[in-house]
Amino acid sequence: MLAAGDPVAAMKAMRSARRRRYVARTDVMEVLYRVYLGALAAVFALAFLAGALHEVPADPASVDRIRADAPAIIGIAAAVLVLAGLRAGARGGPLAIEAAEVRYTLLAPVSRRTALRPAALAQLRTAVLLGALLGAIVGNFVFRRFPGGALEWIGSLAAFGALVPIAVLAGALVASGRRLRPPVAGALGLALVLWSALDLALGWSSSPATMLGDLATLPLQHGASAWLAVLGAALALALLAAGLLGIGGLGLEAARRRAQLVAEMRFSASVQDLRSVILLRRQLASEHPRRRPWLRLGGTRARGAARPIWWRDWQSFLHWPAVRVVRVVLIAVAAGGLAVGGFDLTPVLFALPGPLLFIAALDLIEPLAQESDHPTRRLLLPLTAAELIRHHLVAPMVAMAFVLAIATVAAAVAGGDPGLALGVGAVVFLPLAAVLICAAAVSATNDPYEFVLNPQLGQAVSLAPLVVVLIAAFLPLFVAWKVEGGNGARVGAVAGIDFVLLVFALIGLAALAFRFHKREGEAL
Amino acid sequence: MSGAIEATAGGRTDAPLRAHGLGRSYDGYIALGSFNLEVAAGELVALIGPNGAGKTTFLNLAAGLLDPTSGRVEIDGHVPGSIEARRALSYLPDTPVFYEDLSVAEHLEYVAALHEAKHPAARIDELISRLGLDGWEDALGAELSKGMKQKASIAFALVRPFKVLLADEPLDGLDPPSRETLFTLLAETQAAGAAIIVSTHRPDVIAAADRCVAIRDGRLAYDGTPDPAVLTEIFDRSELEGA
Repeated sequence: MLAAGDPVAAMKAMRSARRRRYVARTDVMEVLYRVYLGALAAVFALAFLAGALHEVPADPASVDRIRADAPAIIGIAAAVLVLAGLRAGARGGPLAIEAAEVRYTLLAPVSRRTALRPAALAQLRTAVLLGALLGAIVGNFVFRRFPGGALEWIGSLAAFGALVPIAVLAGALVASGRRLRPPVAGALGLALVLWSALDLALGWSSSPATMLGDLATLPLQHGASAWLAVLGAALALALLAAGLLGIGGLGLEAARRRAQLVAEMRFSASVQDLRSVILLRRQLASEHPRRRPWLRLGGTRARGAARPIWWRDWQSFLHWPAVRVVRVVLIAVAAGGLAVGGFDLTPVLFALPGPLLFIAALDLIEPLAQESDHPTRRLLLPLTAAELIRHHLVAPMVAMAFVLAIATVAAAVAGGDPGLALGVGAVVFLPLAAVLICAAAVSATNDPYEFVLNPQLGQAVSLAPLVVVLIAAFLPLFVAWKVEGGNGARVGAVAGIDFVLLVFALIGLAALAFRFHKREGEAL
Repeated sequence: MSGAIEATAGGRTDAPLRAHGLGRSYDGYIALGSFNLEVAAGELVALIGPNGAGKTTFLNLAAGLLDPTSGRVEIDGHVPGSIEARRALSYLPDTPVFYEDLSVAEHLEYVAALHEAKHPAARIDELISRLGLDGWEDALGAELSKGMKQKASIAFALVRPFKVLLADEPLDGLDPPSRETLFTLLAETQAAGAAIIVSTHRPDVIAAADRCVAIRDGRLAYDGTPDPAVLTEIFDRSELEGA
């Protein structure tokens, strides 16, 4: 029997009992074995990469440019993440509380701050550890090119990696605890982004986000900038303290809605049902299509099947809410920035644009995904599966090519060699768009229960599109970085990669055709 | 015995639940509009109305699970969601909610401890026995049938002290003997001085109530004695179960 007379003690006793039960149910040896295997694979991969990259020290001009501009650019990226955190907080995030916890604990006469703090700290712990680890990995590569020791770089980037999730979660906690309205939270986040943009334009380090950028480049900073890095860290921690102090103000209405959606999302993620995760995430973010399109296209009077599907796909994009448009543009800009970062800092960053652009591709493939969601409706169409897929891929590929063009322009503006950025973008943007869209289509139309009796195969099928896009974006950037000579030689070498990309796209197309054909055969 | 009323001594007001001009709207849609209600201690109120009328919205507003867009509601003189209001109010939702890894008995112990119930062991044993949960004490929520879940949920609401009980369609899924038990438990709770609001479509609950409050389209449509003749004038026969 739980101790009566002290509700907080009862709450703690119940939680520790549940934790013990969870641990008792878990196969500890199995978990340790998996961690061991994962760690071993990571160590080998990092050692291989470190050896394979043969990074040469950056020239003094590059070092000076990075010292001056990188803090504000990194600050803008960090501010965008804080903006996302504030928006999530305004909708009841970042905590995902069980429905029973809302019903029994949060409706009991117990301080909600006390009740919610452990969940917030647990979430923070995981995010901080992952962030610090990622930062340390990047630091392990960066120190080879820049002045400063390995420990300095690994330490400063690990600290930066830990403080960014702190700032993001803290922003979300403040927004949810103070019940900020979404427009107010968005405006605050946007102000922070603009502040860092102003820092970039004026060469200042006045924004708290830019100060975090100073921390990320601490081994290059001297004097006041080094102290500003410390101030940035202190401000992030102060924001966290404010968030934890105000956590009890969380609105139960948003918490209940979020609890339900997150529970469904976790289940969908556990069976690698990416499509459901995407749809639930949109609900969680209240990301609904616009009632009126941004622009009305002409009718569908053109003959043939292609035009109605082309029209329907563009009509779908024109119903996107503003937040989705902004997200895709930001993804494009970030991908361009990361490509530049790969050239200037470490080529390890070339691994990030692919997965990032994949998120945009998943948004663009929505019309085809809906055909997969409603198989009965699809079967009533006077088209074969192969025709339907082919027609549905055209508009997303054109739109994706446009997104890649934005990424190219961003890389040209942010980098020190616009000619190289535009050249690489020009030869690669069409085949890369095809790969991204085919991979997204394979992912969004995946049936998570198709390989239920062979989970390893199911996991491989779920992961394959992500691995393909990672390689597809990495290869051209890596070749452009690795090949020696002028821009002509580099762009020419990248053009050779187009063949590999087209093979990837064709494999994706074949997988899609096979999948839809098989389902059609099973249904009829 | 009614352990539910342990904490009701020294209440601040004769009407532990007061709503004044209470409203809730969603993007222009009015779920509840300018609703006024006072429920006295020891009073059993049947809250009726067709589906989507605003009954659950009102109960959620009173429980502090929703925020009003206009007006206010007070539980024992306090704003819903405040520690005092949470201490005074017990809510029995329309859908039973369980921690997936806690048994029925563990839920009861936990809720009793959170609300500082006196003599919780005796009260838990009593509720388990009277609600026919014997043998199911160690069952998890997922192992229970719909009716057993509902009985467990009723026990969770009644195991703790309170001054106001909000019950959203509590008879759903219950067999006739369990319904009788619930009526008896509600009568005991009422006799001990708790204010009770039961959202329902059932004539037997309406008949057992001291007062009937009807909502239609988010507005108060009737507030008076539970007279079937009057109610059938207000509602279509199909809107009241068995009318």
